[in-house]
Amino acid sequence: MSQAGLPDGTRFVLPDVAARRAELRAGLRDLYCTWGYDLVEVPSLERYEPTHPRAGQSFKLADRDSGVLALRADFTPALAQLVRATHPAVAGGARRPLRYQYAGTVWHAIDPELARTREFTQVGIELVGVSNARADAELIHLARESVRVVGLEPRVEVGNPGFVRAAFDAAGVPAGLRDPVADAIDRKDRSDLSTLLAGAQLPAQDVEALLAIPDLYGAVDVLSYARSTIPWPGAQRELERLAGVLAEFEDDSELMLDLSMARRLSYYTGVTFRAYTPDFGQPLLGGGRYDGALLPAAAGFSLGLERLLRAVAQRRSANEPDPLVLALDDPGARRLRAAGVRVLRATEVDVAAARSEARALGVPYLLADGRLEALDGHGDEHLRALEAIIAADGGTA
Amino acid sequence: MSVADERSVSAEARVAGAEKLVLALPKGRVMAASMAALREAGLRLAPRADGRALRYDAGDAIVIEMRNADVPTYVELGVADAGIVGKDVLLEMGSRLAEPVDLGFAACRLSLIRPVGASGTIERVATKYPRLTASYLARRGSSAEVVKLNGNVELACLTGLADAVVDVVETGGTLRDNDLEEVDVIGHSSARLVVNRASLKLRGERLRPLIEGLRRLPGAF
Repeated sequence: MSQAGLPDGTRFVLPDVAARRAELRAGLRDLYCTWGYDLVEVPSLERYEPTHPRAGQSFKLADRDSGVLALRADFTPALAQLVRATHPAVAGGARRPLRYQYAGTVWHAIDPELARTREFTQVGIELVGVSNARADAELIHLARESVRVVGLEPRVEVGNPGFVRAAFDAAGVPAGLRDPVADAIDRKDRSDLSTLLAGAQLPAQDVEALLAIPDLYGAVDVLSYARSTIPWPGAQRELERLAGVLAEFEDDSELMLDLSMARRLSYYTGVTFRAYTPDFGQPLLGGGRYDGALLPAAAGFSLGLERLLRAVAQRRSANEPDPLVLALDDPGARRLRAAGVRVLRATEVDVAAARSEARALGVPYLLADGRLEALDGHGDEHLRALEAIIAADGGTA
Repeated sequence: MSVADERSVSAEARVAGAEKLVLALPKGRVMAASMAALREAGLRLAPRADGRALRYDAGDAIVIEMRNADVPTYVELGVADAGIVGKDVLLEMGSRLAEPVDLGFAACRLSLIRPVGASGTIERVATKYPRLTASYLARRGSSAEVVKLNGNVELACLTGLADAVVDVVETGGTLRDNDLEEVDVIGHSSARLVVNRASLKLRGERLRPLIEGLRRLPGAF
């Protein structure tokens, strides 16, 4: 599973893939910049916190004194620390929007037999210090744009764990049953759900309404259906909160709803969302509002770069030729590079040897003695364009 | 994951992009019951022409056939839109897949089994379900060791490899024949429809009628 000599779940990133990863990161960084999200960096080493939600998946290290450190498993706690250190007023509850973006490695110490990777690159944003429908809508919009900016068609699914929590309060689901019941709702497992609820001795109409929650997903009109069928006022308020977020969108047709989203019920306090793209079976991005968990008001999302790259690679046509040139001719090479074309300088000095060099490297074009040549097996679709660049200011040298 | 793996995953993932639903079904007895249930729920599925094809176009869906325990993986990664698999497998994996229909068939209990009359402390438990067994033993405060076996788990009790086993029990016939008895029921299993979360949302126009149709079958929920 691992590449020669590397620890399980780590790998080399080879040139083609590294270039595409850098492209994706740059596209996302620029998108978030134009919306005023400032780039920050946080340490990869953290103090080990047994109460951290990912503590069980931390790579732990012994510090030189008796302290235990952990490799960063998630950016959110470190960003919250950054806010507490630099904006104590916001950390204390003052209303002032702070926008941050980050990108970097996280490590998850998961079973290497099940995990393809234990070292990931996460890119994400956080909007801190404000908690309202406009802030939620900004993040959902940027989730959608994040998928679009890498060339994929976005589908964003929005939920509100607060709705499930309010339903539990209203129906009187006992505290000891809430985690397994929320889990069954999130898995849309009505069979487990009804078995669990049967033991709780709740009124029949409440059980019936709880059993209907797993099916409350689909296009945005699910919301009006839920508003007309859900019996509890507290849960109705949470539906209105979601309606308020949707009302921020001029066009909500790309949005979908899932009112049975009930993961990490004690962490997420408001909207949660995931982004998908058609014909790719896994979410590209996930996030939500977690007021009170780490900061009084905070929401954000993150994307896994590796998964995003797989989704993009699946779309890209497989035989898109790279107009790479091997050059013996420096003036021509200079003009090509100035136009943004990648040009390798030949390490051989005569044309025949340089031609072999290009073939050995899989480079499709050779530039020698002022003449550009498309090598065998490669199409000449870039040939005219490259020749035009070389000829542009006064012919070949 | 290596670079080569990345390419193969994207090639596989493209399967799910086909117009038709891709369904992951387990080999063996559950296969026939699954095909029957899917047909009754409204899918037109032709029997497979080549008896050995592992992936074939059955008309309304593309069927891929695999070991029971691999079904959740294919569905989780989106290579299949949906699949049918025993709840025992999902429990053992700690699966987070959406499982909107309990199909009711292939029903069995997951039980702790011992030789008839055995009463001493349990020191070693053999099972095909090491995770489930370990968490069950931990709940009971037992420090017994768990040994993973791949089949005929009852043999472990008969040969003294272990003093108890955790396994599925359907009718109990095998237990009686071998002088074994169920001493505790740990859980219940039956066949479930599992669905990829992205497919459920993006291909709902195909999957929701299937879910509704399956729920209407006798014994399903």
